[in-house]
Amino acid sequence: MNYRKTISAVCVGVFLMACAPVFLWAGDEPGKLLMKTIDSGLTVLKDPSLKGPEKTQERRQRLWEEISFIFNFEEMSMRALGQHWKKRTPDEKKEFVELFTHILKDAYIGKTDTYSGEKIVFLREKQDGNKYATVQTKIILTTGTEVLVDYRMLNNDGKWTIYDVIIEGVSLVNNYRSQFHSILVKSSYEDLIQKIKEKQGKEEISTK
Amino acid sequence: MRKFVAVTFFFATVLFVAISWGENLSVLAREQYSGETGIDEKVPDKDIIIKNDEAELTSPEQAVSEETPSINTPVPEVPGDETVRGAGISDNDITEKGEAEQPELELAEAETEMPLVKDPLESFNRAVFIFNDKTFHYFFKPIYTGYNSMVPEKARVSVRNFYTNIKMPVRFFNCLFQANVKGAGTEMLRFLINSTVGVAGFLDPAKSKFHIEKQDRDFGQTLGKYKMESGTYFVWPFIGPSNTRDTLGLLGDAALNPLTWVSYFFLTPIESLGNYTYDTVNDVSIDKGNTYESVTKPAIDPYIALQDAYTQNRMKKIKESPDYDETID
Repeated sequence: MNYRKTISAVCVGVFLMACAPVFLWAGDEPGKLLMKTIDSGLTVLKDPSLKGPEKTQERRQRLWEEISFIFNFEEMSMRALGQHWKKRTPDEKKEFVELFTHILKDAYIGKTDTYSGEKIVFLREKQDGNKYATVQTKIILTTGTEVLVDYRMLNNDGKWTIYDVIIEGVSLVNNYRSQFHSILVKSSYEDLIQKIKEKQGKEEISTK
Repeated sequence: MRKFVAVTFFFATVLFVAISWGENLSVLAREQYSGETGIDEKVPDKDIIIKNDEAELTSPEQAVSEETPSINTPVPEVPGDETVRGAGISDNDITEKGEAEQPELELAEAETEMPLVKDPLESFNRAVFIFNDKTFHYFFKPIYTGYNSMVPEKARVSVRNFYTNIKMPVRFFNCLFQANVKGAGTEMLRFLINSTVGVAGFLDPAKSKFHIEKQDRDFGQTLGKYKMESGTYFVWPFIGPSNTRDTLGLLGDAALNPLTWVSYFFLTPIESLGNYTYDTVNDVSIDKGNTYESVTKPAIDPYIALQDAYTQNRMKKIKESPDYDETID
C-alpha cells in the first residue's frame, strides 16, 4: 500500500516537474520580458545606495546596463531615417546608429533622475504574427495622472527587442522621422549630422 | 487508496488541460501582472484601447508617403506608394542584416504611420513657437516653480479636480455629440459622485473608489469624428499648437464650459482672465511642464517635434472615439 502511494507521489512529482518548464518558457514572451526589464530598471532607480544627485552618473550607467539590451537601436535608426537610410553608406549608417543611440540615451535616461515612485502597470499585449508585438503599459504618476505607453517589439530569432515607443499616441520613431525628414528635404545629410552633434555637445556641457 | 489515485488522476488531468491551454493561461497571468506592485490593476475601457490599436494597424492609407517632396506641402496620396517605400527600406539593409523578410518589413513600415501636416504658415508659426517657448521658460516656469514651493502637490491636485469637475458639461455634451451615450452616462455619474461625496469636486472618489474613468472628449474630436479634416497647422500665442479644426474645437469647448458663462455674467474681464490663468498655471504646475519639455528638449528640431507630437496625439484621441470612421485623417 505505502509502496504504491510512494510510486504515485513520485509520478505526480515528475509530472509536475515536467510541467514547470512550460511556464518558464512563457518567460520569453515580449510582455514578460519587457516587464522584467522594467522591473530591473526600477530596482536600480529605487536602490538607496544609488540615490542622490552626486550618484547620478553611476545610477544612469547602471540603469543603462540593465535596460539597453532590450532596445533595437539599429532598427530604430533605420526607421527614423526612413527613405533616407537607403542612400547612406555602411560607415554613415554605423555612425548614425551611434549618434541616434546617444540621443535617445541622453533624453530618456536623463528623465529618470526625477523618479519618485511612479508605477508602471502592464495592460495587455498583442502579437501580430510571430515577428511583431505591441505591449501596452501605463505609467501612473504620483499625481494620479495616467500615461499610456506602448512598446512596439520585433522578434529577431526568438529575441524580442523594442523598435518603437509610443507615448499617448506619439511614436518616438515617427517623431524623429518627421524632424530628420524636414531637415533632410531642406538641406543635406551632413547638415543633419552636424545638428545632431551640436545638440550632443550642448547636452554634455549641461550634464557636466 | 483508490481515492488517492482518483484524486491524483483528477489533478493530473486538470494540470494537463491547464498546460494545453498554457497560452491562454499565461495571457491571463500577464493581464494581471503588474510591473511595480503586483496589484491587479483595473484596466479602464479596454475596448477603446483595442479599437485605437486596430485603427492604427488597419489604416495604412493614413501613413504618409515618404516620397513626399516636402512635409509642408499637401500631396495627394499616391496609390501603391506603400510598396515603393517598403521596397526602399528593405533593399540594402536586408542584405546587410542577412535577413530576407521583405514583405514583413513592408508591413511594419505601413504600420508606423506619419501624419501629414499642412503647414503653409511655417515661418509665422515658428516665430510664435519661439515666443511661446520663451514665455514658458521665463514666465510660466518661474510662476509655477514659486507656486509649487508654496502649495503642496495634494492641494494642487484638488484644485485641478475642482476645475475638472466644473468642466463636466464639455465632456458630457461631446460624448453625446459623438453618440457615446455610455460615456455621457459615465460623466454624469462621475459628476454626481464627485460633487457630493467628493466635496464639491475637490476630491475624485469616482475614480479612486469606484474606478470610473474620466471621458476626455472635446469638440475638436467631435468635429474630427464627423470627418472634418485637421486643416492648416497653427501655433497660437500662449495656447500652443493647434489647427483649423481644433481651433474651432476650442471655441466649441469654450461655449460648453460653464466657467465661460460665469465669467461672462458675473466676473470682470480681469477676474476671468485671472481665473483662466490660475487654472492653466495650476495644470502646468502639476505636470511641471514635463510634457512640453520631454517633447522639445531631446528634439533636434523642437518645432517639428512639437508639431508631430501634437498631430499624432490628436489623431489618437480622435480615433479613441467609439465607432470612429477610419477613412479620414
